[in-house]
Amino acid sequence: MAEENPIEKILNMPGNCLMTRRQFLKGMGAATSTILLSDIFLHPLLGRAALVTQDYPRKKIGGLSLLKNDQPLEFLYPDESAHAICFLVKLGERAHGGVGPQEDIVAFSNLCTHQGGLMRGLYDAQYKVAGPCPLHLTTFDLTRHGMVVSGHATEGLPQIVLEVEGDDIYATGVQGLIYGQASNVSA
Amino acid sequence: MEYKRVDKIPLPPANAKVYTTACDYCVVGCGYKVYVWPDGREGGPKAHQNALNMDYPAPPLSGRWISPNQHNYCVVQGKKHHVVVIPDGDATVVNRGGNHSIRGGCLAQKVYNPEGPTADRLKYPQIRIHGKLTPVSWDTALAVMARLSKYIIGKYGEAAWGMKTYSYEFFENTYAISKLAFESIQTPAYSEHDKPGPGNDTAGLDDSGIDAFSASYHDYSLADVIFISGTDPFETKTVIFTDWILKGHPNKIIMVLPRKTAGAAYAEKTGGLFLQIIPGADTILHLALSKIILENGWQDQEFIDKYVANRFEIDSGFGRGTRNTPWQWRTTWGKLGATYQEYRDWVLSSKEAELDFASHTTGIPKDQILKAAEMIAGPVDGKRPKTSFVLEKGNYWSNNYLNTASYAALGLLCGAGNRPGQVISRLGGHQRGWYGAASYPILLSPEKFPGRRKKEIDLDRWVEAGKLRFAWCIGTTWTGAMAASQELAQSFRRLTRENPHQIQSADEDEIVKTLKNRVDSEGMVVVHQDIYLREPMGTELADLVLPASGWGEVDLTRCNGERRLRLYSKFCDAPGEAKADWWIISRFAQKMGFKGYDWKDSNQVFEEAARFGRGGVLNYHPLVVYVKKLGIRAHELLREMGTRGIQTPVRYRTHPTESQEYLEYTGYYRSSMTAGVLVGTKRLHDPTLDPGVPEGPTVHQKWLTAFNSHSGKALLHKTPWEFFSDFYERIKPKGDELWVTTGRINEVWQSAFDDMRRPYIMERWPDTFVEIHPDDASPRGIESGDVVRIENDDVLIQTGGFVGVEDDDLSFTRLNEQGLIRVGKGAVEAVAMVTEDVRPGVLFTNFLHASSPANSLVHRVPDPITNRYRFKLGKGRIRKVAESPYKKSLAKMSFAPRTVMGILKVAALEQKKEEEWW
Repeated sequence: MAEENPIEKILNMPGNCLMTRRQFLKGMGAATSTILLSDIFLHPLLGRAALVTQDYPRKKIGGLSLLKNDQPLEFLYPDESAHAICFLVKLGERAHGGVGPQEDIVAFSNLCTHQGGLMRGLYDAQYKVAGPCPLHLTTFDLTRHGMVVSGHATEGLPQIVLEVEGDDIYATGVQGLIYGQASNVSA
Repeated sequence: MEYKRVDKIPLPPANAKVYTTACDYCVVGCGYKVYVWPDGREGGPKAHQNALNMDYPAPPLSGRWISPNQHNYCVVQGKKHHVVVIPDGDATVVNRGGNHSIRGGCLAQKVYNPEGPTADRLKYPQIRIHGKLTPVSWDTALAVMARLSKYIIGKYGEAAWGMKTYSYEFFENTYAISKLAFESIQTPAYSEHDKPGPGNDTAGLDDSGIDAFSASYHDYSLADVIFISGTDPFETKTVIFTDWILKGHPNKIIMVLPRKTAGAAYAEKTGGLFLQIIPGADTILHLALSKIILENGWQDQEFIDKYVANRFEIDSGFGRGTRNTPWQWRTTWGKLGATYQEYRDWVLSSKEAELDFASHTTGIPKDQILKAAEMIAGPVDGKRPKTSFVLEKGNYWSNNYLNTASYAALGLLCGAGNRPGQVISRLGGHQRGWYGAASYPILLSPEKFPGRRKKEIDLDRWVEAGKLRFAWCIGTTWTGAMAASQELAQSFRRLTRENPHQIQSADEDEIVKTLKNRVDSEGMVVVHQDIYLREPMGTELADLVLPASGWGEVDLTRCNGERRLRLYSKFCDAPGEAKADWWIISRFAQKMGFKGYDWKDSNQVFEEAARFGRGGVLNYHPLVVYVKKLGIRAHELLREMGTRGIQTPVRYRTHPTESQEYLEYTGYYRSSMTAGVLVGTKRLHDPTLDPGVPEGPTVHQKWLTAFNSHSGKALLHKTPWEFFSDFYERIKPKGDELWVTTGRINEVWQSAFDDMRRPYIMERWPDTFVEIHPDDASPRGIESGDVVRIENDDVLIQTGGFVGVEDDDLSFTRLNEQGLIRVGKGAVEAVAMVTEDVRPGVLFTNFLHASSPANSLVHRVPDPITNRYRFKLGKGRIRKVAESPYKKSLAKMSFAPRTVMGILKVAALEQKKEEEWW
């Protein structure tokens, strides 16, 4: 997790809320060290080519030893803006794109891909589902790459591509377009 | 078909062309905007660089975000273009602020893209020669059809020439269809896509004086309590739920379904009720609720005294002769129509209305029935709750007449039916696109009720009886959509492919000769007109296949579930030689020698149709008169009105007395070039509306401010259980059989004709599914992800009974005694989803999956009172046959329950002011 908890900072900024239509702050400009990736990133655990058309930063977002089952942690990715709110969770069961010894560690954008509702704290441990979104009740299956279970989103929840190096978990890309973005990585 | 995730989308440049349209799918009819621009260009992320005038990233609820499924490529004047279809973020009605469903949200994927999954659109007329569909010219195809039609009508009569068409694919097309069928040919052999013959869907509502779409969506925000029967609008009229109900007055929802859905789970979690009913038992529930309400004196006596018909009003207006229409007959024949006092006495003395009987028959615990009665009618702090009653197919497609009539009566007792927030209405399925050029020629129909009253045809039974020689099927799968689907398809096969006369030559004369031999040897010729080649109608049964154009390819109009009329703009080319349905009809009619079909464009059809709708609730005739004064085309005025459109009936007023708020909701049009204003109509039967005197072309029908009956009063109907119980007892599952009931789910529209071409949706639903309760699954060794087979070897099919003479001739008991019920078979396969959400003893599956039509398990014995099928009352035995790949793979299909409401934090419930939250 980032040291100053930029997520709380973004959410607590005056006038901001991910709930308001008119004011949505672009967030903080903290620089991240980036590692540029090649155009096509082939992820062994995803079982197929993950089409990553852009250069994503490689960012350490957590440690295997710090994760407890069903206790999501938040982080910002791929940048430090409010749209970058993501969560990392150890589901306790094998998941598509999951990393770690049990292939059960996954990460997703925390913004509903229907209309951008903030899905913070809405993790259903029993069914491994994110949601229902506070805006219109969409739910997403986290064992199946964020597929819509029920609801209205026209895209699954964008899944963060993870890599494990020793105890460290790195975010290295995003599959799917994050709500609100025309491109996950600005030109 | 792999779904490829992308992490960027092209933005429309500032000069992209912008069109307005509405969703092609469910009844809600959300407003959409379409952006089209040439390939090779892109807009930028700054507001001035893109046509959405948005600085990206867009904030939540912006109505300005383009998800990857909202972008596609299309063809405009032969050249590749980008196309973006997004909900209208500026909408102030229907889908306010750009709300949408998953179906409409993926509209862009519907667009014909020669390099994408829609590349297989039908492009040329084809004739099946040597068993193979072979392209021919329009001229040849239509000449063959016309020559054959003349022959058949001449030799076998009009009733041997029939059509089965959608009822909703836009006014211009249905007007052309009905003009051909009812005015020019005058055939009684006609049926819409979702029923065996023309007529009411919810006859009990109509008989009660309630137009099935009298309400406005706003009413669902105004209600304190919403009693929802036989549907979950979250699943199928999504934005009614997620916008108008969710953001409404703090409300309570009661939902009656055999299967818990997301909306039902939400209802339970927010102080409402989920009543998990045994399929087919709704009438009993309605009677029990009515009895409890009457016993407690919770009925709205003031409303009843003012608005419900007394004996004189029931009988008045008919004279003493024959009751010529079914509803006049049903109202006055003495068995059903009742005054309040008669209805009250009947309910209070009915065994079926007693709580013990009701709880046993419906499977709903007594305390829940009592609670529901109190919630819908019991005073809260001395004040009556505003309750609205809304229903859909689970209600009227299980016991058509009795369910709808008893439901309307329950609503009327509670003071609903005509006031803001207190409405009785259908929620609807598809949109309202029927514009009739002429009435159905009922006098020519081969069917008759006992007595002298004519009845509309049951076209399926007519086909099975070998009476139809020419069948023109437009925009429906026909067999899959009707009951006992596989048996019906088999009948089609017998009459077409198994007939010895099959086309062996491309020569027009030879083709006509062969097909004449076909019909002269008790065979049938089938034409299928659609946008895709469908199973089995197109792939196997049709002799001719005609390519249609549709949404986005022609300027078209229709209304949504609150009668909102909009223009659905053309923005791209249709594939190949595909033509609008109205065009195909007109060219056929010309070959038949019929006059009045020389339309040049769809606007001309729209303007011509207007005067035939003047008496109806979809009347837009004043708009057409108004545009003539302005010297513009009617479609162009609608284009100006954008996604708001105007709610029909359209009225013309020189000085409207409607409030600005009312007009902003209904839509209106004022021009400095001419006097007066076109105004819309928010709600029907509405005594709070002051329409003034009818001005200019305006027509004031009684139902504008009163109920739609001869007296303007609402009518109560007794609903004797014995009209249904003989059939119900016969079809109840026995032994190891289970009920099979069906419905829509959010992600799939109709037969999935578009969805099966959406990799995104096919990842979620690569196959059809069946929900089964663990108590039923475990003894059969069925687990989630198993492929199961459901078989019904006891599918009842009515084979005759076109004419009733004695009172009970058409009852199930008598049909059976007369040997007019045969037993057929049906079997479907699906992927099992084991869930406690479905009632034990009940299976739930998608209603229209093309390769496994669940209607195959459904009896084809229509309601004798209304000729409507009981689609929701199938049955079958279920067994595991294999494991699907989805059981182990994590790539496709989710088995998580659709009802997860564990942690419910609903923004709308947190007492936020509306403007704050959207």
